[in-house]
Formats: sequence, C-alpha cells, structure tokens
Amino acid sequence: MKEFPVPVQTAEDPSVKKQSGNIFSNVFDELVRFAQSRSLFMLHYCTGCGAIELPPAMTSRFDMERLGIQPMVTPRQADILLITGYVSVKTLKRVILTYEQMNAPKYVIGICSCTVNGGMYWQSYATAKKLNDYMPVDLYIAGCMPRPEAVISGLRQLMEKIKIGEANSWQDYFKRYDYYLGNQQRLFGETWQTPTDIIGESKHYSLHTPETEGEHTRLLELHQRPLEPLEMRLGLSEKTEDR
Amino acid sequence: MNALDLLLLTSLGTVLFSVVFSASLTGRMLLTMLYAVQTVILFQIDAGTEMVSSFGFEIFNHALGLSFNGLSWFFALITLGSAFFAAWYGLNQQQKLLHVGLSANVFSMLVLLSAGDFLSLFIAWELVSWSGVLLMVLGKQESLVATLKYITYAIAGGMAVFAGIILIYSWTGSLAFNAVTENPLSLSQYGTLAILLIGGFSVKMALLPFHLWQAEAYALTSGPASVFLGAISARMGLFAIVITMMHVVDLKTLDSIFLIPELFTFRDFLIWVAALSIILPTYTALRQNDARLLLAWHGIGQGGYMMLGLLMYDQMGSAGGLLHVFNYASCQAILFMSVFSILHRTGTTNLNQLGGLVARMPLSFLAMLVGIIGLAGLPPMNGFVSKWLVYRSLLSDGMAIVFLASVIGTLGTILSVYKLMHNSFLGQLRVEHEHVKEAPWSMTVPMMLLAIIIFITGVMPGISLELVANAQSAIGLTPVDYHLGGVVSANSAISGDLDMIWVVLVLFSGFGIAAILFLSAGKSRRVHQLDNYAGGHFLNANNQYQYSDNFYAGLMHIIKPWYRYSFKWFEGAVVSFVNLAAVFSRSFFNQAHMLIWMLVVVTTVMAVAII
Ligand code: SF4
Repeated sequence: MKEFPVPVQTAEDPSVKKQSGNIFSNVFDELVRFAQSRSLFMLHYCTGCGAIELPPAMTSRFDMERLGIQPMVTPRQADILLITGYVSVKTLKRVILTYEQMNAPKYVIGICSCTVNGGMYWQSYATAKKLNDYMPVDLYIAGCMPRPEAVISGLRQLMEKIKIGEANSWQDYFKRYDYYLGNQQRLFGETWQTPTDIIGESKHYSLHTPETEGEHTRLLELHQRPLEPLEMRLGLSEKTEDR
Repeated sequence: MNALDLLLLTSLGTVLFSVVFSASLTGRMLLTMLYAVQTVILFQIDAGTEMVSSFGFEIFNHALGLSFNGLSWFFALITLGSAFFAAWYGLNQQQKLLHVGLSANVFSMLVLLSAGDFLSLFIAWELVSWSGVLLMVLGKQESLVATLKYITYAIAGGMAVFAGIILIYSWTGSLAFNAVTENPLSLSQYGTLAILLIGGFSVKMALLPFHLWQAEAYALTSGPASVFLGAISARMGLFAIVITMMHVVDLKTLDSIFLIPELFTFRDFLIWVAALSIILPTYTALRQNDARLLLAWHGIGQGGYMMLGLLMYDQMGSAGGLLHVFNYASCQAILFMSVFSILHRTGTTNLNQLGGLVARMPLSFLAMLVGIIGLAGLPPMNGFVSKWLVYRSLLSDGMAIVFLASVIGTLGTILSVYKLMHNSFLGQLRVEHEHVKEAPWSMTVPMMLLAIIIFITGVMPGISLELVANAQSAIGLTPVDYHLGGVVSANSAISGDLDMIWVVLVLFSGFGIAAILFLSAGKSRRVHQLDNYAGGHFLNANNQYQYSDNFYAGLMHIIKPWYRYSFKWFEGAVVSFVNLAAVFSRSFFNQAHMLIWMLVVVTTVMAVAII
C-alpha cells in the first residue's frame, strides 16, 4: 500500500508562511487574502451527474454570487476548478490540461463520492478512482450527489481556508510534480504530455524543489516537444525582398 | 504670378516629372517630395481670403477663371496630404501608371477645387472622373471590370451635370457662379437643377442608390492607389455638392420644394438618402470577407455622415460634416495602408485566411488599431470629434430618428472594424504565416506618421477645426466657435461643449489605473498560443480555433431578410433595359430601308413639334 497522498502540512513545512515581523506587510497580506476569498471565479468542469446540483446552487435559491463566487468561462481567469462527479480516463486528460492552464493560486474541489474513491463506479474500467492522485485537491464534498447546501458549505470552508492562508495545496503540484506526473503516466501511458510547462512554471513561482523533477519528468522530456513562446518581432527585411 | 498659379504649375510639373522619372526609386522619392512641396506652396495661400489665379481664358465670350477660397483650401490640403502619404507608401511600387495616375489625379482635383465658374467646374469634373480611371485599373482582372462599371456610372453622372449646367446657361445666359443667385428661377426649375446637379455629383460621392460601383473600383486596385482613392477621391463629389448648394439651390430653396405636399421636402429626402447611405453600406461592409472591400464599403457609409452634417447647414453640423472629410481621410488611408501591408506580406486579404498577425506585424497592427478607433468614432482619435459634432447638431435640431439612424450606422461600424481587426491581427497565427515579417519601412513610416496625425487631431481638434472654420466662412456660414481642445456651443440654451483634452485625460487616467494594477501584480509569463483553452481540447497547429467564418452569425441571421439586393436588382433592371434598347436600335439601323424609316420618324417628330 502506498502512503496516503493528501499533503499534510506541518509546522516545518516551508509552505506554511511564518508570520514575518513587519506588521504592515501582515496587514497587507491579510487584506489580499480577504479580497481573494471574496472574489472567486469558478470553472465548473461538469464531468458527471453531480453537475445537476450546481444550477440551484448558482441561481437565486441558494445564490452563490452573494459569496462572491461566479462562473467563469476560461481557466486562465478562474480560481476554482470544480469537478462534479466521476472522471473517466478520457475526461481526466482534459481536466488535467485545464488545471495546468489555470493561474496560481488555484483551488480544486471534488464534488461527489465518485471523485473521492470512485463511488458507485468503483468497478468501472474507464474511470479514475481518486482525483487527488492526479492533482492536489483542496476539498472534497462527498455525497451521491451532495445537495446545494453541502456545496455552499464546502465553498464557505474553502473561503475560510483561503482567508487564513491555508489553501496552499496548489503549490504541491509544482513541488511534487514528478509524483503527480507518475500517476498520470501510469494511467495514460508513457507518451502522455500537455502543452504546459510545469517545471518552468514552478521556477516562475519559485516552488521548484528536488521532488519537482524525477524519473517521470525525465521520461516526459524524452519525447516532449515544448512549445516556444511567440515573441513580438520588429522584423526588418532585406531590401531586395521588398521590391 | 501668385501662390495659386505656382501651386497649379508645380502640380502640372509633378505630372510631367512622374511621366519621365517614376521608374527609378530616386525619382519616386523626389515625386513624394514634390507633393510635400505642393503642400508648402498651399500654405502660402491665405485660407481666409479668396485668391484668383492669373490663368484665365475666354471662351464664347465667357471668362473662365480659377480661384481658391477656404473651402478649396481645406479640400486641397486633404488631397495633397493623401497623395503625399500614398506616394510614400508606394515608394517600392514600380508600376509607372500608379505614379502618373496619382499625380494626374492631384492636378485635376486641384483644378476642380479652384474652379471659378460652372464651365470650368464641368471640365475639371470630367478631368477628375477620367484620371480616377488611371488609378483603378492597376489591379488584376477584377479591377478592370470594376473600372468599366465606374466609367458607366461616371459618364451618366457627368451627363446629368452637363445637362444641369446647360440648363443654367439657357435660363440665365451666364455660366458664372453667381448666375443663378442673380437671376432667381422658379421652384420647378430649381428642382430640376437640384436633381441633375446633386444627382450627378452624388454618383462620385456614391450616395444611395448610385453606390454600387465604388467598393470594387476603390478596393481591388493597387495599394497606394486604394489609399488615395479611398481617402479623398469620392469627396470631390461632396465638394461639388457644396458648390451647388452655395451657388445654385441653397438649402432654403430645397426646403421649399415639397415632394409630398406639406410633409416631405427635397431636403428631407436628401437627409434620408444620407442616413440610408450610412446604414446600408455599413452593414454591407459587415458582410464582406475581403478586408479591402470591407473598408471600401465603409467609405460609402462614412460619406453619409459628411452629407448629413452638411445638410444640417448649421454651425455645428456643417463643421462636423467637413471635419469628417479630414478625419475620415486620415483613418481610411491608415486602414488601407495596414490592410495592404498584410496583402504585401501574406498575399491575401481574405479575412477567413488570416489571424494572429499581431505577433509578426506589430506596427501594422498599431496602425490598424488607431485607424479603427478613429473610423468607429471613439475617443481619443479624431473620428470622435466630427461624429460628435454631427450628432449634436442632429439632436439640437430635433431629428431624433435620423440621429438614431446614424447611431445604428456607428454600431455597424464598430462591429465590422472589430471583425476586421479580430480576423486579421488577433487570434491564432496560422502555420503558413509563421515566418511573415513586418512591412518594410517605406510602408510603416507613413503609417506611423498618420497615426500620430490622427491622435493629435483627436486630442487637439482645434488644429483641424481652424481649417474647417475657414471653409465654413467661405461658404457663407458662421464659423464654428473652436478652441484647441474642441468647440464651444454658441447657443447657450442648448449646453454641451466639447473639450477633448479633458476627455483624453480622463480616458488615460483610466488606462493608468489599469496599468498600475497590471504592473503591481508581479511579473507575467508568456505562453504559447496553442497552450490555450478550447473546452479542454488539446490543440495543435492544424486545429483552426480562430472563429472567423460567418462572423456575427446571429446578427446576420436577423438582418439577412433586409438584404434582398434590391439595389443590385435595380441596377440589373436598368442594364437590361439599356441592352434591350440597344438591340432595338441596332435592328433599326440594320434594316434595308433604314433611310425611309428615318424619314418617317423625322417627319413625325417634326409634325408633332409643329402641332
Ligand atoms: S457520486 Fe453519485 S451523483 Fe456523483 S457522480 Fe458519482 S454517481 Fe453521480
């Protein structure tokens, strides 16, 4: 049996920020976190049947928007990735791509028992059992399917976590990318790759640790063709060509 | 020899120079300089007073003269400016006809602008019409077809103008500009003249329903020619219409000719023609998939604004109409330049086959951005000022429905210029354009200069309003009350001044706040265009995720029933009618006893005439 892979944060964990001495920066950080927790854009990736409980949660009956949570259409602008039910292998590839395209800080919520342990699809050959094998999950809302009240209370918990600065599991993906990539490769095969550059991003966020790279990332590098960023060019041409 | 003589002579000299020297690059550079020289000479002419040229000759005891006033000065500046930028833009174009045509157009336009009586107006009008052909035939086969169509329209328009001038002569016995004002005519005579002259001139201006020729003729030719034609050529029609309104039928007379008794006057009719000329061509532009045609259709639509402003004939409205000639010329020129630099580099202007070029041609993108903001009439570019003036005059005259029409036209403009920019510069760069380069300096430098002009005359419209005020006093209107930043409303009962300096300050402080937010968010990271969200789909270079075909499908679905090509149908009907008449007359002349039949016809006509 493998160890339980939900990251456990301890006092020695460098990701838990120690309170620095500067009172102004503390106040500022708290202000930023408060603002973040109050303006969350949610990309609801409706994978399974649990999605049906989202419309009532979003619309006037339960009204998520009073908490500052709104749906968003693209991952680049979204903060929360909501996985609403069983995830088939094919869907999981898309979910991972979408997750990797989100900008940090980003939070993942798994709704439904199916995302926790496979639920009633446990015996299916086509579904992924545990979502947190493939990406760090901040919060699970169990139930088959959870009612809107449960969804809302889950979101409130997430807001609370963001406000006190504990919703940091997104950092885990960069710090232990090799682990997640390994699980992904086990499921999708060795040639699995996404167009995103996680290692480069981990350096960008200064979250690069020894565990970021490993045998799995080396396997990835063997066949990955990274996309070069398009740069702006003021190309001046030779005279002969202009004629 | 005064400055006007010098200007006309230099312009004629430029034509000769272009005939001899335009084959070499140095020759073309000197040619561009010659347009600048002409502009310098133009500034020696005092725009506030009338200057009579010493060239004049007599024909049938009529003294023909050339003279320049504020209105001519205003149009001449735009003409020379457009020619200067077009020639610069075309430095690398070796087609000789292009450079000869350009200089010939400038010369004939200057002659038209300085026409001092109806006969010289007509002669110059024909010169302008025919020299336009030189610039239209430079494209591929399709441009020849378009040019033939133009010639047909231009001849018909020219004939109408000629008939009008003959009528003036037979009714007043004079061809001087003051002929009609000194010998008042009857209302029906005024009506006939208005139909013939305004109708004939509006063919060039491409007002509805004479607009079908213009888009193809202006767009499908070579780049610099399009720039020049699109910027100023059609506005000669506007100039001639102003001359007509000034010397033949003024708006008061037009307002007393009732088409529907007590309800609908000739002026109302013209106002509605102008309003429809805004809406219909603008939404036709929205449907185009060729960037050049899209722009050229806009040219027709924007002409409607100028006409509308002039028909208001008040301080603000006419200032707006005239100012829009200047503003539109600069915007249209820069847009055509940008589109033709795309054509130069990628070989296509089909909006369905472009996209993402901002990463390869950033300067052309910037030029197009400035141009579309101006064309759509948004601050801080100059198009905003002129449209604001026209709107304001419409509102203060209580023309709510026409105002609504022009706003609908502006909406169409915004939508279609967005389509233009989105489909060419934004979105996904296609694989075949991966190695495209920015246009050469000879193209980008004039674009950037024009962009600066558009921005500066947008922030400080007083610069161009000064010229407009001169033109207004030349046509006998109270000039607009302007200052550097905008206009002051003369009528204090209807408040509403415009100070663009403040508008731009507010606008830019908004940008400033956005910039502070952006910069304070830490360093950003560029990603590849294929690292993009398409509902979780994995993209590769062969995926076309750029949405360009059938743009605005929903809107198109709604307005499609309105477009039954009734004008095309009308044009087709006229063509068939003329064909039929030709067949009949040919069979008439082919007969064995043609002479006998002719005798019969002539005697009948004479008999009828005698009775
Ligand atoms: S937990 Fe139940 S409701 Fe949710 S996805 Fe699984 S089966 Fe569907």
